[in-house]
Amino acid sequence: MKKTTAALILICSISLSGYTPSDNDECLNCHDALGDEPSQLYKNDIHYLKGISCSACHGGDNKTDDIDVAMSKNAGFIGVPKGNGISERCSTCHSNPEFMKKYNSPLQVNQMNLLTNSVHGRLSINGKERIVQCTTCHNAHGIVSVKNSSSPVHPLNVPRTCAKCHSNPLLMRTYNPSLPVDQLDKYRTSIHGLRNSRGDSKTAECVNCHGSHDILPVKDVNSSVYAINLPKTCAKCHSNADYMKEYKIPIQQFEKFSNSVHGIALLQNNDLNAPSCNNCHGNHGAVPPGVESISKVCGSCHVLNADLFSSSPHKKAFDKHNYPECETCHSNHQIITATNQLLGVTKEAVCSKCHKENENVKGYLVAKKMRLLIDSLDQSEKSALNLINEAEQKGMEISEAKFKLRDAHQAKLQARTMVHSFNKEKFKEIVDGKGLATTNEVIAEAKNAIDEFYFRRVGLGVSVLIISFLAVMIFLYIKRIERK
Amino acid sequence: MKNFLKRIYLWIDERVKLNDLENFLGKKYVPIHSHSVWYYFGGVSLFLFVIQVITGILLLFYYKASSDLAFESIQYIMSKVEFGWLIRSIHGWAANLFILSVFIHMFSVLFERAYRKPREITWVTGIIMFFMALGFGFSGYLLPWNELAFFATKVGSDIVGAVPLIGEPLKIFMRGGDDVTGATLSRLFGFHVALFPGIFTVLLVIHLLLVQRQGMSEPLELEIEQKTEQKRMPFFPNFMMRDLLLWLIVLNLLAILAVFFPAELGIKADPFASAPAGIKPEWYFLFMFQTLKYFPGHMWFIEGEVLGILLFGVAGILWLLIPFWDVKSSKGKRNRIITYSGIFAVIYIIVLTILGWAS
Amino acid sequence: MNVNHSGGHKRRDFLKYLLSGGLIGFAGIILYPLIEYLKPPKQREVEVSSVLAGKTSDFEKGSGKIIRFGNKPVIVINTKENNFKAFSATCTHLDCTVQFRKDMSLIWCACHNGKYDLNGRNISGPPPKPLEEFRVVIKGEEIYVSKKT
Repeated sequence: MKKTTAALILICSISLSGYTPSDNDECLNCHDALGDEPSQLYKNDIHYLKGISCSACHGGDNKTDDIDVAMSKNAGFIGVPKGNGISERCSTCHSNPEFMKKYNSPLQVNQMNLLTNSVHGRLSINGKERIVQCTTCHNAHGIVSVKNSSSPVHPLNVPRTCAKCHSNPLLMRTYNPSLPVDQLDKYRTSIHGLRNSRGDSKTAECVNCHGSHDILPVKDVNSSVYAINLPKTCAKCHSNADYMKEYKIPIQQFEKFSNSVHGIALLQNNDLNAPSCNNCHGNHGAVPPGVESISKVCGSCHVLNADLFSSSPHKKAFDKHNYPECETCHSNHQIITATNQLLGVTKEAVCSKCHKENENVKGYLVAKKMRLLIDSLDQSEKSALNLINEAEQKGMEISEAKFKLRDAHQAKLQARTMVHSFNKEKFKEIVDGKGLATTNEVIAEAKNAIDEFYFRRVGLGVSVLIISFLAVMIFLYIKRIERK
Repeated sequence: MKNFLKRIYLWIDERVKLNDLENFLGKKYVPIHSHSVWYYFGGVSLFLFVIQVITGILLLFYYKASSDLAFESIQYIMSKVEFGWLIRSIHGWAANLFILSVFIHMFSVLFERAYRKPREITWVTGIIMFFMALGFGFSGYLLPWNELAFFATKVGSDIVGAVPLIGEPLKIFMRGGDDVTGATLSRLFGFHVALFPGIFTVLLVIHLLLVQRQGMSEPLELEIEQKTEQKRMPFFPNFMMRDLLLWLIVLNLLAILAVFFPAELGIKADPFASAPAGIKPEWYFLFMFQTLKYFPGHMWFIEGEVLGILLFGVAGILWLLIPFWDVKSSKGKRNRIITYSGIFAVIYIIVLTILGWAS
Repeated sequence: MNVNHSGGHKRRDFLKYLLSGGLIGFAGIILYPLIEYLKPPKQREVEVSSVLAGKTSDFEKGSGKIIRFGNKPVIVINTKENNFKAFSATCTHLDCTVQFRKDMSLIWCACHNGKYDLNGRNISGPPPKPLEEFRVVIKGEEIYVSKKT
């Protein structure tokens, strides 16, 4: 092996020094004459153009036209490399930085390493070799620069190249039966895919998101498409002002998402249940959700809110005005935790965007009333909690009331959901019937407990009286015995 | 009824000769002079200690010394157990009053030179009990396992850890590990309810026996100034009754404090939470705590904090050994150094405590 | 002298009566709290470690009930296969109290339509974590729920 490497380096260094490809390469001379496919393809191969002979991969002597000498074992001929041998042939040069430097190659030299550690570097079903060899994607003969549009790894060709295997259900089943095989179909419906098929090599294709040699399974925490890493991966392009310039779409999505309730959950609290970019936009078929389907997309998690909204009068009105459902009030990428302030007709409230005192006044009144209701529940819950704390600090037993207060909390949350029905009566029923009813009960119980605490002072009064009386008696007694 | 009591008395008398005891008590006199009032603080301290023992034992019935249950069990005592709030509040208040009364007792003894020969042992046992009282305070403070106590213990044991050489092992011994954990709780609990009370009781018995044996000391100043015959009153029942009277007043005070300012519980300690701002030790440690704050980071060749701790250590030892180096007083002469340093100590403690409180 | 003496004697007796009365009152105010303190309180232990959830006959197959476990609610479920299970009834999303839905055979939270399967796993809606499971011990007819350790 070492010997071959040395020999190769020798050969290549010779070939560098004023060697012109088509002249002296007896391998190609013969095979060209035979007209076989490999030799025809190899004539356009970047390796051939750089002066690398067939023998660099296949071994043998390219200096002689005697077939028995050239293709003999003594000359080191190995025929067609098999299995991992293929990639090893490539890596003898491509993993050697010294060697690659001689060609002033801009290529990295760690591809082999990356490939071995990637999902494609696992053992194939025959158990003898890696699933993927270099040639699987790059082809064997006729390799051209990635920038050349005829390369299978040129951005416009990558989807098809990957799909050779990934859209083949029979093959994919043997490795990962649960992995879908419709990525390419979906991709072709996405904005990325549509632009790609129209010849835009800047839009994302497989490798932009998944990586090339270093592709990892989506569940691997180091994968660029792992839920927590995905937003950054998308942001590589979508937050790059220069790159996105010609597409004329906003570039603050990542920044906004990072500050959103979802982004904080995902990126800061590592909550994998929080949505990443793909949960709303889709992954291979990525497009912004259409105006009318937003509530369905959000509703895949926020089910009750979406259902209530869809059956509310707002649905019709929003459709009519082409308002993007949830987004109209909650915004899109930068969704922050909804507070009570969102509701009502104050400055920060969203209802007053459409409902004004002199315009759409019915909604204005409902919003105002709803806000009043939920504020009073909030207030009432707070004072109940304060009273309970006060009673507890005073050492009173109040756990029953404290337990009950959970219902008020629940009513508050339910009321906030019920806002999406935009129905004053239903809302009021929860706030009044469940919420305020509970808090009032709790407040009464806590107040009772606190009163009970002050009752202790009566007991103290009695005790102090008796102790003082005894003290006075002792005082008199002392007087008495000392008068003697 | 009366006959019955009389018969019991005679029955016991026949066996243990109560007569002697009566004679002894009857012969014991307490001097009466302008400084007599200070004699009472020993008794008040004793009374408060007894209250601590009683309420402490009562609390033990419900308290559970583990990091899981300590806080909850106190919560239980405070809310579920009848009068639990009262017992705990009295225990807390009596602890504070006890230390206050011990301070007063100690300084009065100092200013009256009551430690002079032949009462050296009484002084030494007293000072050790004073240190133990501080130890009681420190160990008891952690037992509710609330946030404040947790961090105060952490800071307190850190200070111990700063002592050169023995500090680190001592800290680990105190904490029962590298950090303040449930192990620290068990340990300090053991100190608080078994080790300290045991040692304290022995010292207390010696202390009291000596007081009875040697009688009350008379202030040196008076002895020097007026050689005339002293007025005195019988210890029993006159002085005893006065003691009782004062105890009842203290009890009243305790009850009022316990009802109007019941002991609080705060929130449960969370070892992983960050320390709340302004952690302060109990008031009786404040003057030391505050002093350490004023020491610069580095002084001469050692850390300021270490220097401060060493100085306090030296002061403590000097304090303990006063009767042995104050030879002048033992010879019946005035020693103004004691008066001045005593006054300095009182003012220093009061000022630093106030500063610590206010900061 | 004589009058004085007997008058003094009387007063002293009177004082003694008052003194004894004071002492009895004193004993009363000290002993009453003490005895009350020593009486075992109604709620037995500090941290509830186990709670009686009811009788097996209270639960028909495929039903659930919320019980109080200390300060927290616990949902006890009898599955269709007559298995008893218990979970913390506090929804892991925003602390609402979950309930058993007979129609869905699921644990369901009314606030945001969170759903958990009968192993407490969050299967739909916003809940980020499964429900904490409690141990169920059946002694004869009685169901006891305790914390898993």
